[in-house]
Amino acid sequence: MSDTFLIAGAWISAGLTIFLFSFLYKDNPFFKVAEHLYLGAGMGWWFQVYLYGVLKPKVWIPLMNHDWMVIIPALLGLSLITQFIPKISWVSRYGFTFLMGYGSGLAIPAYLATDFINQIGGTIQPFANLAGMPAFALFNAILVAVGVICVLIYFFFSVEHKGAIKKASNVGIYFLMIYFGAAFGNTVMARFSLLYGRFDTLYTFSASKYLYATQFILVGMIVYFIAHALMNRGKKETEPAH
Amino acid sequence: MLKEKLNALLKIDRRWIFLGLAVVLFGAIMRPLGLINKKISRDTQNAYDFIDKLPAGSFVILSLDYDPATSPELNPQAMAVARHAFRNNLRVGVVTYAAGATGLIEQLFSVVPAEFKKEYGKDYAIFPYQPNAIATLTQMASDFYGIYDKDKDGKDARSLPVMRGVKNYKNVSLVVCIAGTIMVDWWVQYAGDKYGVPVIAGVTAITQPGYGPYLQKKQLKGLMGGMKGAAEYEHLIQTPGKGTSGIDALSLAHVMVAALIIISNIAIIILKYL
Amino acid sequence: MKLIKKNIPLAIVSVFGMLTLLTYFVPHKHSVNFLEAMNKWENIVSAFAFFLGLVSLFYSHYAKISRKADGWGYSIFVYIGFLAIAVPAYVSHGKNMDGSVLTFLGWAFQYIYNPLASTMFAVLAFYIVSTAYKSFRIKSPQAFVLFVAAMFLILGNVPLGQMIWDKIFGWTSYAISDIVDWILHVPAIAGKRGIMIGISIGVIVTALKIIFGIERQYLGKD
Repeated sequence: MSDTFLIAGAWISAGLTIFLFSFLYKDNPFFKVAEHLYLGAGMGWWFQVYLYGVLKPKVWIPLMNHDWMVIIPALLGLSLITQFIPKISWVSRYGFTFLMGYGSGLAIPAYLATDFINQIGGTIQPFANLAGMPAFALFNAILVAVGVICVLIYFFFSVEHKGAIKKASNVGIYFLMIYFGAAFGNTVMARFSLLYGRFDTLYTFSASKYLYATQFILVGMIVYFIAHALMNRGKKETEPAH
Repeated sequence: MLKEKLNALLKIDRRWIFLGLAVVLFGAIMRPLGLINKKISRDTQNAYDFIDKLPAGSFVILSLDYDPATSPELNPQAMAVARHAFRNNLRVGVVTYAAGATGLIEQLFSVVPAEFKKEYGKDYAIFPYQPNAIATLTQMASDFYGIYDKDKDGKDARSLPVMRGVKNYKNVSLVVCIAGTIMVDWWVQYAGDKYGVPVIAGVTAITQPGYGPYLQKKQLKGLMGGMKGAAEYEHLIQTPGKGTSGIDALSLAHVMVAALIIISNIAIIILKYL
Repeated sequence: MKLIKKNIPLAIVSVFGMLTLLTYFVPHKHSVNFLEAMNKWENIVSAFAFFLGLVSLFYSHYAKISRKADGWGYSIFVYIGFLAIAVPAYVSHGKNMDGSVLTFLGWAFQYIYNPLASTMFAVLAFYIVSTAYKSFRIKSPQAFVLFVAAMFLILGNVPLGQMIWDKIFGWTSYAISDIVDWILHVPAIAGKRGIMIGISIGVIVTALKIIFGIERQYLGKD
């Protein structure tokens, strides 16, 4: 791809990034434009993925090769679109019920095995090696078991939380707080990682190779905000006092 | 006097905080601190060891299920694992269930295989995006080609040398799922637990604490968490990349957040007793 | 009319739900073939489901433009954004790379879609910091426990934090990474496991209600 396209791409990329970041200072038309572009571009991306990744190879090409069985799922899929026509929106139930039935049937054994039985097994399993366990490992296993039971008691709302149940439930809250604290700490890293990615790109596009795209666009935004502030101050001064 | 100053400090316009964060992070990118993680976490080490012990020629499924929003954390992980796999002469089949990943996958594999002189079709293959992951994961248990009959270019998948001897999960030595979504859970539920396929995961830092139960029960053989996991894996394969430079840049930002939380709470306590 | 509008759809849920559930336990060839066919159908139907959202978005923004509602000019950019990806996709036949060269679609992905999507989420980093400063208040023992766990993870995840810990608490001979590992592998597991078990029970019960036709909200109004 030619240098012109790369430089143009750098300017567009840096511009869109800085427009979106400009919301941090104040809402402005550049941000709104970028926001709406994102909406459209996101849908455009998904559209082309579904078109070229699924509909063309799995519906169009089989139909051209006279594989008529794909008509059934294609009709079920098209039935979903009748949702927008109130008179025949009931037709979309055929597509939805197929999706719901299939999804529900797959979900039951999967969740039962992985997130229910295996998790209970994982809590009990360390105690199978009780004899050969170091003291710290035994302490950890007991802590996990006590924690799981207390958290489940906290979420059990069919019984009133009083007395021993309330005490166990309070212990469960502490375990949940540790989990949420760990999740928050990691969330900070996750979000900063995303920000690093964008700043790294802006830094790359600040090079002379890209004609200092980041600098020019940033200065342009600052000039816009200053001009906007001056114009608004001028407007406020010319308004008659009430 | 002190009371007014502390109140002003607590009520500071948040845009100053935004500016402070931007300066700290951008400054660290322009002038790296050059720090590296002192210790490799157990889960990342387990992930590395498992892949390292696979015999050459083993077939590995690389499920790259992230989009541009999570790519700064997950793309370095994917690059590090791909480099490790190619260095150890493993055969790689790339799949994705995230629509936003297709572009990222093509860009990654336009760079990494060339470093190890790996050829498309012979050493690795990329399969097209599939919208319904659960359907596809259950399908691959009986016949991989029931869903993936063609690769991303429309070539017959069975004819690719890299796919020789691969029919279903029985012929897959490992699945590495790098995802910013629930994809890892589905791989464990619909492939790992049901068919005994080993699964290693690379996840965002947000979801990392939630995978402890899977690790403890060995439903996951290893886990890389966020940019730190990427940096650790890059250190293990001795090829620093965006993970290493990223975690270095994040150092000051993290310390800034910790300091802000502590300062605000100390200010509140002082105000309470003034 | 009730038969084709309500009873047959409910029968479809039950039949497909039960059959799909049974395929997990029945290793027979017919069961495997049925699941394969259903998997293919699911892929195709899911692709059409996306178009629901697309039509809805276009319709709502078209309505805004035709009514000249507040901010209608911005709605035009939704269509511009869509075409900025759809046209390159058509020209490049859905391919991002041509060998090692970026195609028109690859260019649009790298310089239009990627920056927009990444930046939208990156902005959250700023709000996390300002919210942590203004709202993270230790007002109870539970909040203190949350704070301590969060501090360990925030500092333990970065080299500078590890260095600070070693300077202040190095005499304990425990690195902060060891404590972070312990938090993630012991108490956090207990918390997460309880949530997982609770969620799995909820999912299983809801799925059974859907299959038996007790849960019918997804059908919409009669």
